[in-house]
Amino acid sequence: MNKYKAAIADLPKIPTTFGQKFKRFIKRNWGGWAIMLPSLVLFAFFIWVPLIENISYSFFEIKRFERQSFVGFENYSRVFQDPAFGKAVLNTFLYAFWSIVIGFLLPLFLGLLLSETVHFKGFFRLGMYIPNIISGIAVVLMWSNILSGSSGSMINGFLSLFGAGPVTVLSNSKWVIPVIVLVMTWRGAGGTVLIYLSALQTVDSTLYEVAKLDGAGVFSRIKNVTLPSIRPTIRLLFLLQIISVFQVFYEPMVMTAGGPDNASISLMYLCYKYTFIDRDPGAGAAVGVMLALIIGALSILYFALSRRTKQ
Amino acid sequence: MTALLCLSRSAAITAGVILGFVALAELGVIVYLVLRKRVAAGSVAVLRTKRLRKGDRIPFRYRLRYKREGLITGIEYKKWYFKLLYAVILLILFAAVLTAVIPVLWLFLAGFKDAQDVFKAPFTFWPESIDLRKVVEVWKVVGFGKYFLNTLILVLGSIVCAVFFNGLLAYAVSILKPKGHKIVYGLIMASYMIPAVASLVPLYANINKLGLKGYATFIPLCLLYGANSYYFMMFKNYFDTIPQSLIESARIDGAGNMRVFFSVVLPLSRPIVGVVSIFAMTAAWADFLLPYLLLQDQNLYTVMVVIYNLRSTMASMADFGIDKYLIAVAITILPQIALFAIFQRQIMGTGATSGIKG
Repeated sequence: MNKYKAAIADLPKIPTTFGQKFKRFIKRNWGGWAIMLPSLVLFAFFIWVPLIENISYSFFEIKRFERQSFVGFENYSRVFQDPAFGKAVLNTFLYAFWSIVIGFLLPLFLGLLLSETVHFKGFFRLGMYIPNIISGIAVVLMWSNILSGSSGSMINGFLSLFGAGPVTVLSNSKWVIPVIVLVMTWRGAGGTVLIYLSALQTVDSTLYEVAKLDGAGVFSRIKNVTLPSIRPTIRLLFLLQIISVFQVFYEPMVMTAGGPDNASISLMYLCYKYTFIDRDPGAGAAVGVMLALIIGALSILYFALSRRTKQ
Repeated sequence: MTALLCLSRSAAITAGVILGFVALAELGVIVYLVLRKRVAAGSVAVLRTKRLRKGDRIPFRYRLRYKREGLITGIEYKKWYFKLLYAVILLILFAAVLTAVIPVLWLFLAGFKDAQDVFKAPFTFWPESIDLRKVVEVWKVVGFGKYFLNTLILVLGSIVCAVFFNGLLAYAVSILKPKGHKIVYGLIMASYMIPAVASLVPLYANINKLGLKGYATFIPLCLLYGANSYYFMMFKNYFDTIPQSLIESARIDGAGNMRVFFSVVLPLSRPIVGVVSIFAMTAAWADFLLPYLLLQDQNLYTVMVVIYNLRSTMASMADFGIDKYLIAVAITILPQIALFAIFQRQIMGTGATSGIKG
């Protein structure tokens, strides 16, 4: 009996008073917080604090990146009065439209084809993925040379095969956005195709068998079996596509400098231009706040959808 | 096609012949698939009698006939119009691969032309000769050695930060779970999608306020990778699968929190450490905007900053034309292709690339 008594005496005491409870709380949790602390400092410094500070910056007059005096909505009204801002908002819709037409449908189509092939599959996957590995800045530098307006550039050499005259797509306000979206798609499609491919491989083959027994043709099978089966993936990638449209940046910065006549300016580039070219960080912060709000709203939608997908 | 096949010298001709062979072989396969008659029954007998399992490698020519999964199966491929459809599918995919590869190929070849020939009117794909001395010359003139070293420092620092800080945070949130870890998790998820560039102004101002000089400027650029929600999520999802019993047993053996992390959790999660390292490596290599804004001293430039600036400074450089510029861009792409070749399985295997992102 004594043995057990000693063992019971050795057990930690159940805390009863507030002081004891507090001590136990600290003892149990300080280790975890100590480990989190360095990373939390980094998250605060690089993400959370700038995000909050950005809002305050947008309400201040800023000189040399220091907040001077509170000016209310002056930065915002300056941005709203700038014709470039209206243009950038309009362009965002154009970017979104074209990236849905080109950047969203093309990978879906290619993924569908790729999942059906039984020959050269690895080669196709690899080949399509190659543009994905090149850094964004190198891609736009490369394409601005390929698309250059001189009659001996690759795009014009290609068009001359069909007898079309030399074009200067990057200085043509009608064509510049579709062309930029094409370049983005060229770079990104391979990765998206892989995501679709892995989703398509989970589609149950017996569903196809059943559909076939019902006399469904190929297109009817795609419409009634394939697409509904991968609808969650399609929805997520659609939203990701829209979110990434708001972040179009390197392309207008390097290929067109937002031109011609602001025809390709994007919100992200406008934020950069206000801050570092026009030396007006207040306006830049105002655009940044609006961008963060839009992307924040879209990403809430994204998480709501992805949660439903998991269930 | 005439423009593409404007071949002149031997190097170009050999390359052209290879491409021609590929095209011919491709055409042959397509014609074969469309026109072939029933194969002699004897040769297929093995395939008929053996039950095919998933992962069985079927010989090339029987693959279509024994396709049992997916939208269209082997039975339908007996009909000629389905064979035609399959040929069209292959053609479209070949075209897609060509579209993906040809611009890169052009970049690698165009630099070997003379400066005035790069954009000369009838477009030609192949250069007259491929003189590798030109690459060495560009390397020396631009002084790539120094910039590659800078980039290497940045990349190594970023990998260490990405694994160490995100890993520790995920370890605390996923395994230690101190009171309040859910708040931390919520905060990280809330800022998951919003790009750092949206709050560019205060970010730039705050880093500048640190007043760092010389190579110390690299410190915030590396630490930035220590605060990455995406890497954090990858770590957390992986740590969630580690059985608690392993951690408990290490605890009973008297291991402290850090000891558990370094001797139990990290060794168990080698695959995810590898994936995060590779992602951080490629991202840090390609990073442009913040290095461009923060690195004022030319001796500190990274490779991406150099090629961007080269575009405007090459006008003032003697004997540095568009051809050499294209070679410079190609030089910066080569390591990326090499890295991809080495880590291809890890990069493509995760499939976690997030669509189009600049």
